[in-house]
Amino acid sequence: MSVVSAFLVPGSPLPYVQRDNPPWGEIAAAMETTGKALAASEPDLIAIYSTQWIAVLDQLWQTRAVLQGLHVDENWHEYGDLPFDMKIDVEFAELALKKTAEAGIKAKGVDYDHFPVDTGAIVASNFLNPDGNIPLAITSNNVYHDWQMTESLGRVAADSASELGRKLAVIGVGGLSGSIYRHVINISEDKIADSAEDDWNRKILSMMEQGDTEALAKACPDYAGAARVDMGFKHFAFILGAIGGNFNGATVHAYGPLYGSGGAVVEFDLD
Amino acid sequence: MNDGQIIAGFLAPHPPHLVYGENPPQNEPRSQGGWEPLRWAYEHARRSLEELKPDVLLVHSPHWITQQGHHFLGVRNLNGKSVDPIFPNLFRYKFELEVDVELAEACCNEAADMGLTTKMMRNPNFRVDYGTITTLHMIRPQWDIPVVGISANNSPYYLTTEEGLEEMDILGKATRKAIEQTGRRAVLLASNTLCHYHFHEEPVPPEDMSQEHPQNYAGYLWDMRMIDLLRQGKISEVFKVLPQFIDEAFAEVKSGAFTWMFAAMDYPELPGELYGYGTVIGTGNAVMEWNLIKAGLAKAA
Ligand SMILES: [Fe+2]
Repeated sequence: MSVVSAFLVPGSPLPYVQRDNPPWGEIAAAMETTGKALAASEPDLIAIYSTQWIAVLDQLWQTRAVLQGLHVDENWHEYGDLPFDMKIDVEFAELALKKTAEAGIKAKGVDYDHFPVDTGAIVASNFLNPDGNIPLAITSNNVYHDWQMTESLGRVAADSASELGRKLAVIGVGGLSGSIYRHVINISEDKIADSAEDDWNRKILSMMEQGDTEALAKACPDYAGAARVDMGFKHFAFILGAIGGNFNGATVHAYGPLYGSGGAVVEFDLD
Repeated sequence: MNDGQIIAGFLAPHPPHLVYGENPPQNEPRSQGGWEPLRWAYEHARRSLEELKPDVLLVHSPHWITQQGHHFLGVRNLNGKSVDPIFPNLFRYKFELEVDVELAEACCNEAADMGLTTKMMRNPNFRVDYGTITTLHMIRPQWDIPVVGISANNSPYYLTTEEGLEEMDILGKATRKAIEQTGRRAVLLASNTLCHYHFHEEPVPPEDMSQEHPQNYAGYLWDMRMIDLLRQGKISEVFKVLPQFIDEAFAEVKSGAFTWMFAAMDYPELPGELYGYGTVIGTGNAVMEWNLIKAGLAKAA
């Protein structure tokens, strides 16, 4: 299999921009641990699917060789800037575009100076690929695409890597439960805003730890609805598509609150 | 300084296609035109704005989405290149704008006093969203009037439409108070499309107007019904059916700008002047003005 490692990580910038806040610092530390695990799997490239890169018309893949700049999150601007410097595997992206179209999904490359790279992709890449040495493939979340279509995008990534003989690390970037605090809170006391959603998150994470893919497949649609999961949990669908639907178990490196919503850093066991 | 007032409100939608069709020097891509009736509608609005001579333009944009409260641009000078994430092929625009920080702070404080969560955006590296920029370019391409940029809190989506729009109503009332206190002659811009059903493919070239028409007939009928009510000044009726319109026409007014603007103007039962209606990739867009000076509800300069 071309996929050598797979991870689910939150796209919130809070652990990155304010790691000295204990609840978020735990997630930041776990992101770094995960970055080491990713490097140890020696991938030739990393495919990132981020819920925060919203697309409406097509399935988009970054095709610009170098993405550099300074991003400011539209909601969390007071916590500072998100610098980024990314290398894109353009050959891979071109092939993925072709394969996305072959899978029946309209696809387009994005190669524009100052294109707004999303917060989630930047946070994942800065934490998990801190030196920027590993080239990336970044693809969008088309809001009209369902779970199955998103799984097939994951398959497209894996197939493209195999065809090119590249070893692939996969990152699904997005949150768990979606209830948030809408007012300003004391951030050191951040917790999951809704206890029923907290229970749901824990249940899903435990199924991941056990590698119970059948139970997960059944539970995910209910979970997505009941816990207001970030974008219907499609970032997990992308991972499942890329790894062929199966994994032996998972390590949850961290689980915690991000202004009331849930976030977890999960490494899947593929061996 | 307490003779501040709102002198006009515009429904001023922000399809980036209109900037693309116009080919201004600030925008990188070139077109062969397109969407002329809407662009000419904006020309009309520009002439009216010229006569109004406002001190400030306030714009509420659905493409600056915030979850923790309602945010206000709070850096005096902002500039950069704005690339539309959905239509990067059409909109890559170099902007430079001046913010009326004093008024923005007054709006922020008033809204907080009225119970909303609010925040000033003080980060100088912030990239202003393309909705704000498109609306401002279309109404005033000279960029010589200070602005107040207001985010769209996601409350109408996170809560119910009604609960969310209640917040926008409060935001509008707070905006009015702030304008009165600071002595500004202000023009409000509601950056909203009406029916938001759209095609999923762009024609080649995107400005091929033989492909441009309403995507959804029921949505078109809703747009006409709403515009008709607005032209007659039946504003209370408009707001009675607004949630149904939003639901059935997937209308972008859900994001709040339209409600914010009317709340700030105190929902005048005043006929709006329609400068033009047109579709953009199938969505319905109207450029309209409520001129409070002409209506005798505000004083001329
Ligand atoms: Fe819009």
